[in-house]
Amino acid sequence: MVVGGLREFALRRNGDGSPALDESNGEELMHVQPSVAVALGSRSVESPGTLYITSRKLIWLSDVDVAKGYAVDFLSISLHAVSRDPQTYSSPCIYTQIEVVEDDEDDTESTGVLDLSKIREMRLVPSDSTQLDTLFDVFCECAELNPEPVEEEEEEESGHNWVFSADQMVVGGGGEEDAEWQISQSPTSVIGHSNGGDESIAQPMLELRINDQRFDDAEEMVHESETKDH
Amino acid sequence: MLFFSYFKDLVGQEVTVELKNDLAIRGTLHSVDQYLNIKLENTRVVDQDKFPHMLSVRNCFIRGSVVRYVQLPPDGVDVDLLHDAARREARGG
Repeated sequence: MVVGGLREFALRRNGDGSPALDESNGEELMHVQPSVAVALGSRSVESPGTLYITSRKLIWLSDVDVAKGYAVDFLSISLHAVSRDPQTYSSPCIYTQIEVVEDDEDDTESTGVLDLSKIREMRLVPSDSTQLDTLFDVFCECAELNPEPVEEEEEEESGHNWVFSADQMVVGGGGEEDAEWQISQSPTSVIGHSNGGDESIAQPMLELRINDQRFDDAEEMVHESETKDH
Repeated sequence: MLFFSYFKDLVGQEVTVELKNDLAIRGTLHSVDQYLNIKLENTRVVDQDKFPHMLSVRNCFIRGSVVRYVQLPPDGVDVDLLHDAARREARGG
């Protein structure tokens, strides 16, 4: 799955005109809001259209131009908010910021053709502004459904897969499973011991002392000297 | 889950969230979730040059993955306590 910023979207299902979803990957429709206009960046508003909010992305489809539609993954939506200040924007709307991958080689200013992938702000203007809070909440829900993809081990009780050394084979297993740490035959570290014999500190600190240059940095050196002072 | 717990305790306080795109937003911390997604109320943009259009959204939802810093109220954090807790968390304690 390629995650991107804003892009064209005009794939539709036959019949009711709603968008084709990636159901095989579990994408489902969460909310449909008819009569929504969209304003990309600083461009003027485009309407009429319908907003489809799925568990993965939001899709705006023009009601009058079958070929016109936009989509953006929730993974790319950095921020969303309800905007009601008439001085900031003429109509109450949902304001969103889209994460854009900076590409220095592109110079879209000169072509005059809209490059959707460079759009950083998008406003969705429902004709029924009483729906804004509902839309805001749906956006929140969908954002929560789309956390950053991580390696499988992330959600174990320890919650982290910090790498302490290149020799580490066992990931996860928090404090109660210290015995499973692969302690190499490295010189005994003084770091843990100086902490009043607190052995649960000693083991990870031993890992840090393995002679792997990659894991020595200024911060760790400071850390070591701090614990020595205790 | 340390920072999730920590931020939950900060709910109701004023924070400034700085995003990776340099935007800084100040507001009252309304809620936070396990992914450190942040909801702010009474928001205002700290530096209005970059994103003037969002000057006065009142509430906003910020994706955890785009946050660079969360600036805390100076009296809202016990630095030593947090430091020790972070160290314990890092070694799986």
